[in-house]
Amino acid sequence: MTDWNAMSDADFRKEVRQFFEAEYPEELRHLPHRPKFAEIEHWHRKLHAKGWVAPAWPAEFGGMGLNAAKLLIFYEEQQRWGVNRGRDMGVQMVGPLIIKFGTQEQKDYWLPRILSCEDIWCQGYSEPGAGSDLANLRTRAEIDGVDFVINGQKIWTTMAHDATHIFMLVRTDPDAPKKQQGISFLLAPMDQPGVDVRTITTLSGDTEFCEVFFDDARTPRENLVGELNKGWTMAKALLSFERIFIGSPSLAQNALGQLESFARGRGAFDDPVFRDHFAQAALDVEDHAALYARFADQLKRGETLGADVSMLKIWVTECFQRITELMIEAAGPDGGAIGPLQVGNVSVDVLASFYKARPTTIYGGSNEIQRNILSKAVLGLPG
Amino acid sequence: MTQTDILSSEQEDLRLLRESARTLFERAGGSERARKLRDAGGGFDAELVRELAEAGVFGVAVPEDQGGLGMGLAAGGVIAEEVGRVIAPEPVVLTIGLSLGLLRRLCPDHPKMAQLIGGEISLAVAWQERVPGGAPADVTCRYAEGRLTGSKAWVVGVTGSQGFLVVAEQDDGPVLVLAEADADGLVIDKRTQADGSSLGELSFSGTPAAELASGGAVSAALAEAVADATALAAAELVGLSERAFEITLNYIKTREQFDKPIGSFQVIQHRAVDLNVMCEVAQAGVREVLAHMDSETDPKVRNPIASRAKARAVTAAKKITRDAIQLHGAVGYADEFDIGLYLNRALVLSAWLGDDAYHRRIWFDAREAEGAAQ
Ligand SMILES: Cc1cc2nc3c(=O)[nH]c(=O)nc-3n(C[C@H](O)[C@H](O)[C@H](O)COP(=O)(O)OP(=O)(O)OC[C@H]3O[C@@H](n4cnc5c(N)ncnc54)[C@H](O)[C@@H]3O)c2cc1C
Repeated sequence: MTDWNAMSDADFRKEVRQFFEAEYPEELRHLPHRPKFAEIEHWHRKLHAKGWVAPAWPAEFGGMGLNAAKLLIFYEEQQRWGVNRGRDMGVQMVGPLIIKFGTQEQKDYWLPRILSCEDIWCQGYSEPGAGSDLANLRTRAEIDGVDFVINGQKIWTTMAHDATHIFMLVRTDPDAPKKQQGISFLLAPMDQPGVDVRTITTLSGDTEFCEVFFDDARTPRENLVGELNKGWTMAKALLSFERIFIGSPSLAQNALGQLESFARGRGAFDDPVFRDHFAQAALDVEDHAALYARFADQLKRGETLGADVSMLKIWVTECFQRITELMIEAAGPDGGAIGPLQVGNVSVDVLASFYKARPTTIYGGSNEIQRNILSKAVLGLPG
Repeated sequence: MTQTDILSSEQEDLRLLRESARTLFERAGGSERARKLRDAGGGFDAELVRELAEAGVFGVAVPEDQGGLGMGLAAGGVIAEEVGRVIAPEPVVLTIGLSLGLLRRLCPDHPKMAQLIGGEISLAVAWQERVPGGAPADVTCRYAEGRLTGSKAWVVGVTGSQGFLVVAEQDDGPVLVLAEADADGLVIDKRTQADGSSLGELSFSGTPAAELASGGAVSAALAEAVADATALAAAELVGLSERAFEITLNYIKTREQFDKPIGSFQVIQHRAVDLNVMCEVAQAGVREVLAHMDSETDPKVRNPIASRAKARAVTAAKKITRDAIQLHGAVGYADEFDIGLYLNRALVLSAWLGDDAYHRRIWFDAREAEGAAQ
């Protein structure tokens, strides 16, 4: 088995780049929507055969065992080449939780199935009354013999209609003194009576998220990960890496590249005002990358990240939004038109980018919540 | 009557007009109706168009001796604001501003005038072409011996319109002609927009069309009608922004997180206040422009202030609808809640007839030219 970490960064980057450029299907590059599994299954099989599905997992569980530095390179190359993340909630979220808190049986059973995509996961955290205030969740799981019995509702569950399993935070002790207590982390199969999935159409007309209803749905007791009523702290423990992932420059960088070729084709750079707006956006992205590198170095040195990592997400998502707004500006009279716009030999779906940028300031902890975190934990402001 | 009496009786007329337009739109189904029409393929409600016509809506800015109400653009703006509030897809600004704006200036006796005022038909206006720079001076669509050749771009209101008012070139200058929607040799390429309406690309190959007017008067009337429509579109955006803000204000008062309404967090309060101020500034600016356009005939004054109105209204509508989504959280990103309809309609109205950056440029260039002339 290759020890990737022993390679030089440059060699590793080259290897990853070559694989993506040679193997990733052109028609799937920079997909404007979240694909159903069937659409990217072929690519997934290739990755799986190469053992590259889970770059961050330790090698003993079938991952690439990359250290932080190599991992960041891997993601950078993935994003540079427009490689879709695929259905990675299993790899990014449940897998690490099982690796860290699961029993040996859970690891032996679930991890290989995540890698092969035999099980496809969705994330059941949010509820109608629990968004930013996630600890307010009400979906209940009660022990009944060998099973948990689940009742309640999840919402905004991305791609639940194309998932076989859901990992969820549920209330297992309604009498706990604090909202954050009495919550457990549970895995549940979705193909059973008592689980109902309804798709929700988004602003852009896509159906990428869903409501999931539980009416006496069951899952075996052994699907509890970690200790009963300790789900909140466990889920929180995994946030650090996700925070840097969500603050990475890639989305904004890709959008900036699209904006540049589109604006050139449209002659928008003839306008000095547009040039200034473009330059502002481009510099925003470049300097964000510098800030990002500072946090990445921290990870590479093996340090854990502090609350200040939230600033990456705020900056880059808002920058991403401005870039997509500039695309609309460059589109002029076509700025309200749906579908790809052809300019010379580039084709850019202006509104698809715009729509994609909107919720980035909402999900993953809204930017208002990130600002609250920064003001309290970093600036030490009272409140 | 004193000057103030005249003013206040005008104000009273506008208030009554606003009330009757609002009642009509609300009775027809408010913003929910916009969703239904969009889902049904992006047309409009012919019955409502007739009702609006009965209330005098389409002829509001047409002089009385030409069969209208003679109330001017200020009254048109009142109606446009109400259209914006319920994001009605009916071709109101298109008809008041562009189609009737052209006909009343060029051929007020044409029978299509009465049909437009009566809500019996609607006519889309094809005046732009996909030429570099987009200047009307570069028009290549030709008219000769009763037939059109060439193409026109960015035509709004193609769905449901009975014909097209086309600005073309003939040997001795510009000409305005009328082509029926089902004319031979007319191909309409439709592109769906964010609000479900279509943007049309027309191409003509020997398409029969009837001449309505020709010569320099056509270019002058076109520029004036485009300015009218631009200012009215600004008013529509003002109404849209106000309603989007009201919906959002209501939401942040009722949505609870962390055991209290999110509107109790100061950061949300300040943003709401900023959006409110933005709405009020836009409303004041746009209404002032419309009133001014009614009393001013010089295009060198009218055109740049129309741009001032659109620039302001687009800036406000973009900010307000986008912040509205943010303040709604995921609910704002889901189509089943109305707020997204406002965002999508704002995208379309902003792109139509020039966005804010475009109009700020026009305004500034006009200001420079004026300064140089003095
Ligand atoms: C495209 C998309 C995909 C998603 N996918 C998933 C998924 O797969 N699984 C899942 O579990 N969830 C998912 N979510 C849900 C997401 O995590 C929530 O939308 C997010 O947590 C915000 O919650 P909310 O939508 O209920 O907004 P709310 O919490 O109701 O917030 C509304 C507004 O109030 C602001 N606000 C709230 N509290 C405060 C405060 N204390 N101070 C200042 N401002 C505040 C917010 O920032 C926001 O602007 C997804 C959401 C979207 C949009």
